[in-house]
Amino acid sequence: MKNKLKVERAIKNITQEELAAKIGVTRQAINSIELNKYVPSTVLALKLSEYFGKTVNELFILEETD
Amino acid sequence: MNTKLLFPHRFKKIGWMLLVPSLALGFLLTFYNPEQEFLRINAFTIYSSGFLSEGSKFFGFTKVDYSATLVGLLIIISATLVAFSKEKSEDEFIAKIRLESLLWAVYVNNAVLLFCTLFFFDFEFLLVLEFNTFTVLLIFIIRFNYILYKTNKAIAHEKQA
Repeated sequence: MKNKLKVERAIKNITQEELAAKIGVTRQAINSIELNKYVPSTVLALKLSEYFGKTVNELFILEETD
Repeated sequence: MNTKLLFPHRFKKIGWMLLVPSLALGFLLTFYNPEQEFLRINAFTIYSSGFLSEGSKFFGFTKVDYSATLVGLLIIISATLVAFSKEKSEDEFIAKIRLESLLWAVYVNNAVLLFCTLFFFDFEFLLVLEFNTFTVLLIFIIRFNYILYKTNKAIAHEKQA
């Protein structure tokens, strides 16, 4: 699974730390999601989607191997 | 992960302060083997075969060296506090690392036990069992904190970029 978190974060001009604080997760979580090392729960995905004003499908994209 | 099952964060520090000296004491008691017994007391026992003392008994009192019992208790309690206290900030990602590390620790511990079962016998095997009582938690603590350290380092790297 790919994600556009880093791009969306750049558009909003917000650091990983700030995003983590806004969403209520650790910086490690945001960092690992961006590095494709961690697949967030549905709840966290929905929170991110709400924050960026994008649908979950726009933020997270399935890959062939998924 | 239900964080209600974890101890408050401040217990982690208390756990570390107890764990380090009790581990050192444990090693001393096991390998240095002091001739003098510090704490020979009459302790309540559920069953004692009386192998080294009087006859066997159920639910009675028996004279034992209590120092090993005390150190064992200290290690179990402090290792539990260190292992299962909340981190400063908790979320699903930390919970995932915790559960993964727990599985990993049980695997590694069992692999070591398997190896030791094959190559240690009699009294030495008893020693292996004694150590094995505590190693699951210790391996877990090492692995969990190592992964936390590694992800923290990744963040520091990200910040510089």
